[in-house]
Amino acid sequence: MDQASKTTDHPPDLSVQLGPLHLKNPVMVASGTCGYGEEYADFLELGQLGAVVVKGISLRPRPGNPPPRLVETPSGMINAIGLENVGVAAFLTEKLPYLRTQQVPVIVNILGNTVEEYVELATRLDGVDGIAALEINISCPNVKKGGVLFGTNPEAAAGVVRAVRRATALPLITKLTPNVTDIRAIARAAVDAGSDMLSCINTVAAVAVDIFSRRPKLANIVGGLSGPAIKPIALRCTYEVLQAVQCPVIGIGGIMTATDALEFLLVGARAIQVGTANFINPRVTLEIIKGMERFLRVEGLENIGDFIGALDTRCVFPFAEEACDLETMMSKE
Amino acid sequence: MAMVQDDARVVDQQEVAERTFRLRLRSERIAVTARAGQFVMLQVHHGTDPLLKRPFSFHRIMPEEGLIEILYRVVGRGTWCLSQCSPGNHLKIVGPLGNGFTLPEKDDRTVVLIAGGIGIAPLHELMVQLTSNLQADKRHAIHLFYGARTAAELIPTHLYSRLGIMVHCSTDDGSSGYQGYVTQLFELMVNQERHRPALLYACGPLVMLYHVARWSLAQNVPSQLSLESLMACGIGACLGCALPAPHPDDPMTDSYLHVCKDGPIFKAGSIAWTKLQRQPTTPQIYLYN
Ligand SMILES: Cc1cc2nc3c(=O)[nH]c(=O)nc-3n(C[C@H](O)[C@H](O)[C@H](O)COP(=O)(O)OP(=O)(O)OC[C@H]3O[C@@H](n4cnc5c(N)ncnc54)[C@H](O)[C@@H]3O)c2cc1C
Ligand SMILES: Cc1cc2nc3c(=O)[nH]c(=O)nc-3n(C[C@H](O)[C@H](O)[C@H](O)COP(=O)(O)O)c2cc1C
Ligand code: FES
Repeated sequence: MDQASKTTDHPPDLSVQLGPLHLKNPVMVASGTCGYGEEYADFLELGQLGAVVVKGISLRPRPGNPPPRLVETPSGMINAIGLENVGVAAFLTEKLPYLRTQQVPVIVNILGNTVEEYVELATRLDGVDGIAALEINISCPNVKKGGVLFGTNPEAAAGVVRAVRRATALPLITKLTPNVTDIRAIARAAVDAGSDMLSCINTVAAVAVDIFSRRPKLANIVGGLSGPAIKPIALRCTYEVLQAVQCPVIGIGGIMTATDALEFLLVGARAIQVGTANFINPRVTLEIIKGMERFLRVEGLENIGDFIGALDTRCVFPFAEEACDLETMMSKE
Repeated sequence: MAMVQDDARVVDQQEVAERTFRLRLRSERIAVTARAGQFVMLQVHHGTDPLLKRPFSFHRIMPEEGLIEILYRVVGRGTWCLSQCSPGNHLKIVGPLGNGFTLPEKDDRTVVLIAGGIGIAPLHELMVQLTSNLQADKRHAIHLFYGARTAAELIPTHLYSRLGIMVHCSTDDGSSGYQGYVTQLFELMVNQERHRPALLYACGPLVMLYHVARWSLAQNVPSQLSLESLMACGIGACLGCALPAPHPDDPMTDSYLHVCKDGPIFKAGSIAWTKLQRQPTTPQIYLYN
């Protein structure tokens, strides 16, 4: 019997275990790129996804930054949305009820300007029906420490995670920023402080300017780069984080296709999130899931777990065995 | 109405004025639900650079034939890529998006449309809608004011006058019609004829829209303006297409509208004009390099 017919009976198993979370497949939509889920209702059934990560939620509604808020760059885009969101109260009453009707784990991305704000958010979301996990966005400025990002300092990151850990029993994912010298130090600090998982990466700090008007292209001047341009950076970060910690890691950054997604799994990510690609093709996540299934079939793998972390970093020398021979010949040359 | 993503086939593409193309696409699913003033997000290229789809208004909607037309001007890389595609090519398209124009309730009132440059694009379908089922004599109460920088950039106006409406043209350099801005021509005509339009529709550059908005607020004439902003998704997910809006309670607090969901058609009073930033544009001479 050939491999194809052997595996057609059972579709390959894409399910993954992320700490306490069991997902039917490793494909999620990333925070800030799928709104509150409902925006995609015309294009896909959210229940087909591994999980949905909603737009970052703060304690009070935030209006966001003045426009222009985004600009396209080669194979990427820079955004400075300014974390516009409806606030936790409206999220719970207006947005979550819809998500509850969809058979999909909902991960709530939270952000605050002080540790207290993170704690209050976690407290209000703790035990709420329909929330599967929290993703702590530590890429916000710590207003008490003069605007230093929580996510760029191991102690500050640990402080947020530890306080949130005490406030909720929900599984915690800490979302790391790539805009640091050593992402491993932040990763370790977050895990030691009680984070069940890590996700990486958030956007890469970036600037675009216009030579004709001599002005920055974003009102906020600095924004975050996302899309295919950042994939190699995201892969490097995922790789480094996995060297530093044992917990499940979710890979994010520039994923457009099943191949991109599988690259992150190969490096060792247990799941992935798709961001910018949703804007270009609102059904892209379904195509990625299909593409993963096809890959597993062709490779004769029955479950995705067999592929996760399969990266072989040993050097391969295809002609090594002929070394003696060759050396003798070369010495005669 | 439901948004869909479709694989649209390019049926025809013509250069109808300088750097201006009319693209006809087959998408039955979008053509049957689309309304004037709505738009689509259209793939301009197969690859990651340019990355994002581009927003374009419906220029014509032909539900019976399952066709739509867009009219666009080449202003950068994305629109240049689009101008290179030919019949038989397939482009991913998402639509119909946004709110669209609201048609007037009574047919017998003076309606004015003001178009600046490529702003004529969404107004064509609107003119078709306004004139359908309207007796010829009543069509004279619909006036199109259409301005461009120079004659070469004007779409041949017989396309519009054959609908039976009144067409008034201007060019900045005087190479065709009135010399000056289209808003100047409009104000001149309104003052001369002493009849106020009952309703204004406009699409064009931001400065033009600003003048139309000012006039409509000052004269207390309702207006529907088609605005733009840079967009990533077109479906309300990225929140990138914000425009400043007056805050209902507190003028010191920032408040934003989203062009793709709340618009692209807005009343003059719903935009905080004083907080709008100028958008950089690439000078023409660099476009084809
Ligand atoms: C709702 C909506 C409907 C539109 N309908 C039409 C239409 O029917 N016909 C048409 O020709 N154009 C229309 N536009 C504008 C069109 O989307 C832009 O011209 C196009 O995206 C430019 O892409 P580009 O890659 O060629 O230019 P880029 O290289 O991205 O930019 C070139 C120049 O165009 C400006 N620009 C880019 N995107 C936009 C934008 N979305 N709005 C305004 N300026 C922009 C940039 O600031 C820059 O100066 C519409 C825009 C919106 C938001
Ligand atoms: C428009 C936009 C808004 C975003 N908003 C958030 C957010 O609210 N919280 C967050 O943690 N990440 C946010 N992100 C980051 C994404 O979740 C993701 O980490 C990043 O875009 C990299 O993935 P990508 O290349 O697939 O887009 C946003 C990204 C974009 C493009
Ligand atoms: S373009 Fe994404 S929200 Fe409007």
